[in-house]
Amino acid sequence: MKGIKLLFVITILALALSPVGAQDVTTVSMWLAENETMECWADVLYTFNDIDPSIQVDIVPQADTWNTTRTAVAGGGGPDIVRTPGPSFVYEMAQQELILPMDTFADQMGWRDFFFGWALDLGLVDGQLYSLSDELETLIMYYNTTVFEENGWTPPDTMDELNALSEEVAAAGYTVFSHGNASWRPSNEWFVGEYMTQIAGPHNVYKALTGQIPWTDESMAEAMEVLDMQMKAGWYGGGVDFYFTNEGPTRRTMLAGGEAAMNIEGSWAIRDMQEYFGDSEGHDWDWVPVPSKDGTDYFTIGMGNTSSINASSPHPEAAASFLTWYFSPATQGQLLTSCLKGPAPVQLAEDAMTELDPRIASVYAELSDASANDRYGYTTWTFWPPKSDVYIYEEVERVWTGEISVMDYLEGLDEIFAEELADGDIPPIPTR
Amino acid sequence: MAVLSQKKPTTIFEKFGDETWRYRFIRNVLVPWLFILPLLSIHVFVVAIPAVQGIYMSLTDWSGVGKNAEFIGLENYRELFFEDEVFGKAMVNTFQWMAFFLTVPFILALFCATVLAQIKRGGMVYRSILFIPYVLASVVTTAIWRNLLSPKQGIGAELAKIGIEGFDIAYLGRPETALMSIAFIDNWHFWGFLMILFLAAMQAIPPVLYDAAKIDGANRWDEFRHVTFPGIRPIVLFMFMMVAIWSFLAFDYIWLLTQGGPSGSSEMIATQLYKNAFLRFEGGYGAAQGVVISIFAGFIILIFVTLRRRGWDI
Amino acid sequence: MSAIGKVSLRDNILQRGPSRERSRLLVFNHTVLLLLTAFAVAPLLVLVFNSVKTNFEIGHNPLGPPAEIVTDNFINAWEQGNFATTMRNSAIYVVVTIAAELVLGGLAAYGLARKKPPGSDALMLYFLVASTIPIWMYIVPLYTQFRIWKLVGTMHGLILIYIAINAPLTIFLLRSYMVDLPGELEDAARVDGANEFQVLTRIVLPLTKPGFLTVGLVVGLGVWNEFLLALIFIYDPNRAPVTTSFFKFVDRFSRDWALTSAGAIIIIFPVMVLFLALQRQFIEGLAEGGIKT
Repeated sequence: MKGIKLLFVITILALALSPVGAQDVTTVSMWLAENETMECWADVLYTFNDIDPSIQVDIVPQADTWNTTRTAVAGGGGPDIVRTPGPSFVYEMAQQELILPMDTFADQMGWRDFFFGWALDLGLVDGQLYSLSDELETLIMYYNTTVFEENGWTPPDTMDELNALSEEVAAAGYTVFSHGNASWRPSNEWFVGEYMTQIAGPHNVYKALTGQIPWTDESMAEAMEVLDMQMKAGWYGGGVDFYFTNEGPTRRTMLAGGEAAMNIEGSWAIRDMQEYFGDSEGHDWDWVPVPSKDGTDYFTIGMGNTSSINASSPHPEAAASFLTWYFSPATQGQLLTSCLKGPAPVQLAEDAMTELDPRIASVYAELSDASANDRYGYTTWTFWPPKSDVYIYEEVERVWTGEISVMDYLEGLDEIFAEELADGDIPPIPTR
Repeated sequence: MAVLSQKKPTTIFEKFGDETWRYRFIRNVLVPWLFILPLLSIHVFVVAIPAVQGIYMSLTDWSGVGKNAEFIGLENYRELFFEDEVFGKAMVNTFQWMAFFLTVPFILALFCATVLAQIKRGGMVYRSILFIPYVLASVVTTAIWRNLLSPKQGIGAELAKIGIEGFDIAYLGRPETALMSIAFIDNWHFWGFLMILFLAAMQAIPPVLYDAAKIDGANRWDEFRHVTFPGIRPIVLFMFMMVAIWSFLAFDYIWLLTQGGPSGSSEMIATQLYKNAFLRFEGGYGAAQGVVISIFAGFIILIFVTLRRRGWDI
Repeated sequence: MSAIGKVSLRDNILQRGPSRERSRLLVFNHTVLLLLTAFAVAPLLVLVFNSVKTNFEIGHNPLGPPAEIVTDNFINAWEQGNFATTMRNSAIYVVVTIAAELVLGGLAAYGLARKKPPGSDALMLYFLVASTIPIWMYIVPLYTQFRIWKLVGTMHGLILIYIAINAPLTIFLLRSYMVDLPGELEDAARVDGANEFQVLTRIVLPLTKPGFLTVGLVVGLGVWNEFLLALIFIYDPNRAPVTTSFFKFVDRFSRDWALTSAGAIIIIFPVMVLFLALQRQFIEGLAEGGIKT
């Protein structure tokens, strides 16, 4: 009997361990992926708490952040600041009224003064502002300068040059690209979007995204054939099966250790490049624009994240004032300098980049130059609708394993895309 | 007033005018149900109600977020069986998985249990060690094996170093090997459990039966066929049912190791369901897959129950 | 073979053959068992080796024994993985779930097994069917409900789910133990004036202790190792159990295999200790559970 009673007591005690929180201050919660970058972010973001003691931000580290956020928000919970992996994910949440339209806040708090106009447009759903884009990114081609110098190679400008160089690199016993998708399956899509922009050209991608030409267009097929050829030649990660098992750290070590020569990846990898090449004696890195068919330097634009306000947040005003502070050029500049975070598409201060490694500063300089001069392209996770996006990164594996042809793949994409386009489930595409 | 209130508490039973009936009702119906109620109500609120909601959602175009859902009848099911190629593939994979788990661990466990049942000294030690993998968490097991199967620093790579080539392949990265590699890893963790069950059943067989067989001049295979196997048949068949059901639910190991890749070669119904419900804003469609899994599982149970009704000793 | 008279019937078949055949058989049996044992243990041995190597050593010696034993990994893993908090949390999840499961499950099984009220067959069928419904079918509706009841993100919310999903197993197991009890003892107690609750606690419980131990071990092991529900329902790292925090830890330090190996050892250590201390109950309990469910 004693044992049973004890168990009862323990049960009741534990059930009573509910969360207890002081309600005097308004707490704005925000979830961030748990990794080393997060700690750096948190250090910067917690300085917000010194400004106004009545509004405090709470940074909660999360693994599998997006899935957790999505489930939580769907159930009417989740953090006050809802972050998604890109504008295409915002659409559904806005449709379901899980997040708030923020136009009033944008006017009140002067967001239009520091955000780029086109960037605010990315957050529009049915004409209302539902999200703020964050973490501007683009794909570039990193390379191991030491390996290149030792072999007397020079970085290629065109896709043909890249193909020729890749053959040489492979023949010399190096892995051509340090790639692999074991840590993040959707990385397949980086290359699909990138090759469409670089080979079919951004204008054709624009036409396809607006429904003027089908995805089965010859230019798209050509882009996918080139990618497929490179993949099957084993240039990505040393073979298709290795590509499927190489994990993030392995990929980094391959490039920094001089086992691989190049890596086509987003500007988000810069931080890792600094770190891994820092650990690796005698190797160094640099980058060039991803080679295009005609040699033009195209830069795809992507948004790594978006921020919105949760419809179930009890204090949206406080959340909005945190967002105002967070997206301010000063905070963004500090996150860039301290944590190498991709800046939000806001007007950064003139001197925001001066303390940065010139290799990093030039990425953003080139990107803004490209977008001013009609040389910008599209990343799949920012400009494609959600179902097409999933199709792009999942089904392309079937092309690479030889199960279906490039044409089959593009036909499937065209079908899904047409459906989403007809339903209007498509992120806003800025007019060219 | 006083008269009324005195009468009131017994009204229900008064109709019958039978105190014994009332006492029996309390003792045989009310009290037992009061005992059952706490756990049952927790279960109903956590499982039954949401599951019914899930069934309803499978008949809608519910996205998985929010409250807007339009009733679309059996459209999800039609799409699932007649249009969805990935689902077809996931079904094939699920049945391959089931075929693997209905054979490999059973044969291994039966063989090992038979061998172990004959050992007197050290039997406990073997038994304990062989059981260890079963108590490990899936997060840990997959972390260990992902590394051991790595083509760069796993077992294959070490074999290649000492001159045995050909094993340093990316087991989890090849469409031909991915599913079976995951099954291998899951089985490493699982088969010991099965072995323990069979061993326990074997040890419960009265030794006198073996003596009788011996007197009849039975050899070891005869003994296994006529004494051991009939003795453990109920548990073997029962585990057949359970493993078949579990095959439809398999998720952890696949998700932690390949998430269904490469190119859908290890996609299972459960992983596809997860992707539909959580990554593709297709909550209703995912719910339909959940219902399909439940129907399959129910079907297997039905077979089992029917066989039992027909007098099979299972 | 004079000893033959002393060999009891309980003794094994091996005792009966001529001794040479017996020993050849034993050699075969032990060889097979040693191979299988190596298969079960070798991966764990590699894990232990790697947990005491430097990450640098793992680079060129990923499988073999360490050249030099380093214990820093454990200290670093303990601190960086926040194990002090998450181990305590996991202990709470396990202990409270077991306690509630045994109390509530014991009551329910008693009601079902000893009293057989009308509807108990239907109830058993209900639990059987419920135990086959995949969690993914109801996870989002469940989440919505839990949100309304303010249970999301709380430890008792997750514990309620654990209690519910383990309920069918508990009821099947405990019921089967109780069904086997002879009814005379209870009747005798009732004649002596004991009420139903006293019959349960004084007569039935002591006689079905092994059943409760089995349920405790099965449920406890399940909760300690549970991962996906915790990932979805607990987002505050201060309430997270070891498994989800290890998942985050691996995510974060995936290139430091030495550190993550040490983390893995920390997680399996309590289970191992308990297993080695209670191996007979563990194994026989689980086996019996498997047969009786």
